[in-house]
Amino acid sequence: MISIADLLIDDRLPGNYFANDVYVRGTLELGLLENRRGDRLLALPDALLKSIISGLNNETGQATALVLRNCGLWWGKNFYARFCEELSDYHGKPVADLSMAEFLQALQECWRTHGWGVLSLNLDYQPQGFLVIEIQNSPFTAHAVQPNQPSGALESGILQSFFSQLTGRELTCVQTSCESLGADCNRFVLGLENRLQSVPSLVQEGQPHEAIMRVVTR
Amino acid sequence: MNPQLEALFDEPEKRYLRPEELNALSQYVSSLPERINLYRRLRSEEITLMQQVADTLQQQMAGEPEDLLKRSLKNGLLALRYVAMAMLTDDVDFVKKRMESWLPGIVEAYGTRAIDERLHQLIYEQLSGRFTPQQMALLSPSLVTARNLLAPQEIGTEADLTSETLVGLF
Repeated sequence: MISIADLLIDDRLPGNYFANDVYVRGTLELGLLENRRGDRLLALPDALLKSIISGLNNETGQATALVLRNCGLWWGKNFYARFCEELSDYHGKPVADLSMAEFLQALQECWRTHGWGVLSLNLDYQPQGFLVIEIQNSPFTAHAVQPNQPSGALESGILQSFFSQLTGRELTCVQTSCESLGADCNRFVLGLENRLQSVPSLVQEGQPHEAIMRVVTR
Repeated sequence: MNPQLEALFDEPEKRYLRPEELNALSQYVSSLPERINLYRRLRSEEITLMQQVADTLQQQMAGEPEDLLKRSLKNGLLALRYVAMAMLTDDVDFVKKRMESWLPGIVEAYGTRAIDERLHQLIYEQLSGRFTPQQMALLSPSLVTARNLLAPQEIGTEADLTSETLVGLF
């Protein structure tokens, strides 16, 4: 028989760690906004994001997207470690013991609560070995990096390094649709590098997401 | 706390509270002893109540794997704690705020809807057997919210992700 007392043995029933009314707090008299573990959070003004992009554009020109992507890669590396640490502390077990559904749901909640938009996984191309991440209401793509090109270089970086670490494979991430270009959401395709080689040039030509996916899954 | 009550405290710099606003506050305060009393009982009876639920559930759903039943029971315990807190703070949206974004996805991913619906029914029966209609009236709004979260809804595509990891994908 199932014993309820046993289910409550560590006296904790994990719910949504990232519930926004609990996750964001702070020691406001010291000017600190913090998460529920006491790690510092920052409110990032949209104007700052805009000025970072225009500053980079002025100083580095074409290299802006590369710089942002690099920043994203670093961010993703740290983010993954911290995310896993917070999650395993909360659940009282190693992240490897969480199911993939629980893990990914926590990622979605984390994204939402930080104000980074609504992230969802699209598994339509899973059988062909591609994972598509869709993000709506992203704050990071609001300002164009280069005219008529997707502006999610920072997010491409963070997603690439997050999912590479999660899967233990060297993945590449390419953005194939962008809210700043009128798409309904930002789409990021993750897969092995050799299978995504043709994608950046298709994106540059302005091919729509579905067409690009037809090419890579051909 | 009930968001309408909480909003009363937001802008003292604008004006003093109106009589009807103070009435709403008094009403809540005078309902507090009853709420605290009920909350205490939910707390002290949690294990016996849920153990009876668990025993019946296991009998009625003998064919279901035990780890799924356990998973559902844990979520049931959690839901009941949220319901208790919602009742204490008179915040009908509390259950929704804490569970809406993840519970439907997990129910979908593990395919436990039938178990969860039965579980919800059993918890409801246990509660109505133990508490007066007045007490049930305090719990009902959040119980309904919790029940509605189990209904099929438009959600993400995590369905295939429980048994296999993403590692195998690439």
